[in-house]
Amino acid sequence: MTTRRFIIEPRGLASLRLTILIPLASVAAALVVGAIFLALTGDNPYTVYKHMVDTAFGNSRGLSETLVSATPLILTGLAAAVAFKMLVWNIGGEGQFLLGAIFSSGIAIAMGSGTPAAIAIPAVIIAGALGGALWASIAAIPRVYLGTNEIITTLMLNFIALNLMNYLIFGSKSPWRDPAVSTFPSGRPIPESFRLTEFFKRLDVGIFIAVAVALVAWFLLSRTRWGFEVRVVGDSAETARYAGISVPRKILGVFLLSGAFAGLAGGLWVAGPVGALDPRSLDLGFGFTGIIVAALARLNPVAVIPVAVLMGALNNAGPSLQSIGVPPEIVTMLQGAILIFAVGGEFFIANRIRKPEVSAAATPAEATA
Amino acid sequence: MNDSQLILTIFAAMALGTPLIFATVGEIITERAGILNLGVQGTMLVGAVSGFWATFETGSLVLGVVVSMIAGAVFSMIHAFASITLRVSQIVSGLALTIFGTGLASFLGKAGSDPLVGEPSREQFLPLLRAGTGLADLPVAGPLIFGHDILIYVAWLVAGAASYYLFHTRMGLSLRAVGEDPASAESAGVNVAWVRYAHVMIGGALAGLGGAYFSLALTPTWVDNPIGAAGWIAIALVILASWRPWRAVFAAYLFGAAERVQFTLQTLGEPWSDIPSTILAMLPFVLAIVAMILLTSGKRARFLGAPAALGIPYFREQR
Amino acid sequence: MSDSAANTLAVELRDIHKEFYGVKANEGVDFQLRRGEVHALLGENGAGKSTLCSILAGLYRPDSGEMLLEGEPTVFKSPKDALAARIGMVYQHFRLIPNLTVAENLVVGHPDLGLRIDQKELHSAATRLGEEYGLPVDPAARVWQLSVGEQQRVEILKLLYRDVKVLILDEPTAVLTPQEAAVLFRTMRQMAAEGRSVIFVSHKLHEVKEVSDRVSVMRQGRMVGGVDTADAEPRDLARMMVGRDLELSTRDQEAAEGETVLSVRDLVVESDRGLKAVNGVSFDIRAGEVLGVAGVSGNGQRELAYGLVGLRRPSSGTVILDGDDVSRATVVSHIRKGLAYVPQSRLGMGLAPGLTTEDNLGLKAFREPPYAQGLRLVPSVFKDLGAELIEKYDIRGVQPGLPIRLLSGGNLQKALIAREVESKPKVLIARSPTRGLDVGATEAVRKLVLAERERGTGVLLISEDLDELLALSDRLIVLYEGEIVGEMAAEDASSERLGLLMAGQREAEPA
Repeated sequence: MTTRRFIIEPRGLASLRLTILIPLASVAAALVVGAIFLALTGDNPYTVYKHMVDTAFGNSRGLSETLVSATPLILTGLAAAVAFKMLVWNIGGEGQFLLGAIFSSGIAIAMGSGTPAAIAIPAVIIAGALGGALWASIAAIPRVYLGTNEIITTLMLNFIALNLMNYLIFGSKSPWRDPAVSTFPSGRPIPESFRLTEFFKRLDVGIFIAVAVALVAWFLLSRTRWGFEVRVVGDSAETARYAGISVPRKILGVFLLSGAFAGLAGGLWVAGPVGALDPRSLDLGFGFTGIIVAALARLNPVAVIPVAVLMGALNNAGPSLQSIGVPPEIVTMLQGAILIFAVGGEFFIANRIRKPEVSAAATPAEATA
Repeated sequence: MNDSQLILTIFAAMALGTPLIFATVGEIITERAGILNLGVQGTMLVGAVSGFWATFETGSLVLGVVVSMIAGAVFSMIHAFASITLRVSQIVSGLALTIFGTGLASFLGKAGSDPLVGEPSREQFLPLLRAGTGLADLPVAGPLIFGHDILIYVAWLVAGAASYYLFHTRMGLSLRAVGEDPASAESAGVNVAWVRYAHVMIGGALAGLGGAYFSLALTPTWVDNPIGAAGWIAIALVILASWRPWRAVFAAYLFGAAERVQFTLQTLGEPWSDIPSTILAMLPFVLAIVAMILLTSGKRARFLGAPAALGIPYFREQR
Repeated sequence: MSDSAANTLAVELRDIHKEFYGVKANEGVDFQLRRGEVHALLGENGAGKSTLCSILAGLYRPDSGEMLLEGEPTVFKSPKDALAARIGMVYQHFRLIPNLTVAENLVVGHPDLGLRIDQKELHSAATRLGEEYGLPVDPAARVWQLSVGEQQRVEILKLLYRDVKVLILDEPTAVLTPQEAAVLFRTMRQMAAEGRSVIFVSHKLHEVKEVSDRVSVMRQGRMVGGVDTADAEPRDLARMMVGRDLELSTRDQEAAEGETVLSVRDLVVESDRGLKAVNGVSFDIRAGEVLGVAGVSGNGQRELAYGLVGLRRPSSGTVILDGDDVSRATVVSHIRKGLAYVPQSRLGMGLAPGLTTEDNLGLKAFREPPYAQGLRLVPSVFKDLGAELIEKYDIRGVQPGLPIRLLSGGNLQKALIAREVESKPKVLIARSPTRGLDVGATEAVRKLVLAERERGTGVLLISEDLDELLALSDRLIVLYEGEIVGEMAAEDASSERLGLLMAGQREAEPA
């Protein structure tokens, strides 16, 4: 007699409980994996994790630093979430972030120190978004009009952007470079009026901008005609076309929006904590970490906010580990593990495992009849 | 440019190209099964650190190579499980693997009471034939053909074997069938899941080997990231090679040359040496994008294109 | 023939149960297949025939029940096992690999294939096999270059190459002309004469009568009965298939003589490959009239529909919708001017599978109030208007907030038609609207189409189901290779006349 042991079948809609439980479980599982490696190399996981929590949340300085790191992550997380939901695989958040930083610092330097803050801050914001969107368009346009796969193009653009930034500071005497420092090339500080006001240690108003953008994104997607059309395209491009929705235009729009979010993150980072186009303070992997944020937040724009804080905490806690002799790369490992478990956990959200109903009459004895 | 510069450049191209060949051919095999593995960078790093560690502890290069391949295969099994059994997004799973692998390799290199960082390798892959041993003394051809370490020759073997495997063997046909149309392959009696698992792991093993080449032949000591962006470049090379192993050799050597070009230009003096290294460093990536746009759009895609089922999760009991 | 030999069945299935996502596809099914017979498996769409065959072919595993081959209990864990037991199936949607050659497709997964592949040997073996069974093929051609009929030949040869003893054909004539079907039947009888068994899945009574030795009838997942074909009366078979003597709705009165709402002149539309799929088609539809378009699938129906609704730009010709020239207009223009389209692909095109029923119901009208207020959308409107439509059109199984793909085929189609019809279109184009639906759903859909006809909508009904066309149409045209090869009023139409035209047999011009 043949009987299946269990049946895997798609779930209609996962309960809210499950959609929160699975991401939490992903984090927990990642912590276990990290603990194993820590133990293998002679460190006490509990001590390490406690140190990380203390650093990230234990005092007001730690808390503010966590939120400082969270600010760009909210935006790069949004960038990934918005794109991935449409099956637009924009993995170029790194490069778009850097171009946003370049554009923002550029406009600040170009407009100069006489600019009043009322013009300076919007300029920085717009320039950042513009830089990211423009960089994304290099991949978006071939994707939309030629069908060129965006995974590779956005990926390559990351490295081009990195080298571009290095060129501007290390490879040339560009306006971005600080003329005052001759020993080691570094970025020229942008004028004060372009800097975001700090209000809690190093935390600046950028975080409010980031949260506001997240809420706007949510509104766009769920309460506007554009958002509805985007959702239809993301579900079934054929259906969208049939309904008269311009699929290329929607994909382009989402792709550019995604780039704009990442670029804005770069702009706020430069106008905020860094204050100049400083390669060492900019090449921090916010783009890829944003993908982790998006995955853990299950591509939901509002959920991105708390998840970004969690990632910010991890980022913040990393460097301090050196003081207790633990390689800070454990943070990268944890983040990678979180992503693996988060994406693996999608399986349990989308599917359900159950036992088949077996008819009462069937018993093994009948098989030999 | 005098002869020795040319030879030096070709040498460097082949040396830098060799790990790319391994990683690219490995990824070609994986993608031919229909699985996109963006975890190549992480896998190579895992291979690099584990191979270095094995050789460091035992003094055996063979063991180092074997360990790096096993480590690569096991590491890529995570991606295989996520992509084939759980059928979740291959792109995200691959990226996760790279992030984790990058962190893991750096961590293992720095961790413990006796970290590997900065330690010189106990053994390194050296050229098979040294100067003064007859064949290697032939002008130009001598060092070029005979003056390499053994892995460079192995790379050619791997590419040739992969090519033959793909197009002239039964398993290769099953592999291609699975990558083009897994449902049809399944009904023809091919075990799609098994084929995919096996070839993701083969790809992982080759990526691990590619990573080990960096730590065991190219860099004298362990450093935090010995491979640069090699894993990412390999992913692009797969496309430039149209998923054909022999073309991967050509593409890999081309990129190796591009890496080396900066140094070569320096020696030429003005105006060549004025070109900033950062601009030159961009070149491989720019080329990849241009090639992608030109080669994969329009009619050419049908013949030079990707396996039809690449990146699409396969559901066996689909209604 | 001794008793024991006659009694050993090639295949026996006992008490097979199989469930998909809560739907019982097979419930307590028993089935016996003798050696050397052509056995028809008859039933409507959704009766469970394909599922049963897929289990036999090893693609699905039954939830419970047993399978005996020549008296031995057997379990298939995969199609590989089935093929090893010399059981193979030709599916409705072919399992050929488009980018590989015919020869490669023949040998993929073959257990006797050596490690090395010699292309030349392979090609000559393929040619020989094709000639032996009257199914010639070009071994070096890539499968995507072949016609549908040729592809089917490759599928069959694939199985003969493995010397199958049991061959299962799932609705093979759906993609064939009557002449090609005749060749297929000859091949089937040849195989039976060789001692192989053929299971022939169909829902067409006349085919079953023509080629099979025995018939088993399935209905709603259950095996309802089995008879020798010679003894079977079509009316009895139909009753077993349907469960009762059902008269489905047909149009009752003469069409109203309305205005011309759709006027098509010399329409030319290209196929995906750039060939002329629609080659100079002209017709008119009046308000309150149903124009049926008959034809075997693949003769330009898809491109005709696409060209008319704006999904594909016609290369030349004109389309006038209620006085407006929409020949080159966008889909949105067509929608705004009163065109409704019920596509053949419900979930792939007509409805977005992952969106809710309410969202899908608003997919046509969301650009205008009350759905839209400026750039904003009002979610409550989706909910309220959606609930209205669900009630009005009796769409069952809807759970708020859940994706629409969970609905059954019949309810999906009701939702699709409901949406298209609510917009009060001037012209409704429907392609195979009752395909794959059970009797109840078919009846509901037919009623909706006739209701539109009564409301004064001009209906273009493109279908392969002659019963449906004859029941609902006022006039009929036949599409063959992109051209209209026949035009007649419903009274003058018959299955036979239409069938001949569909196969390309032009009628003699009246003297």
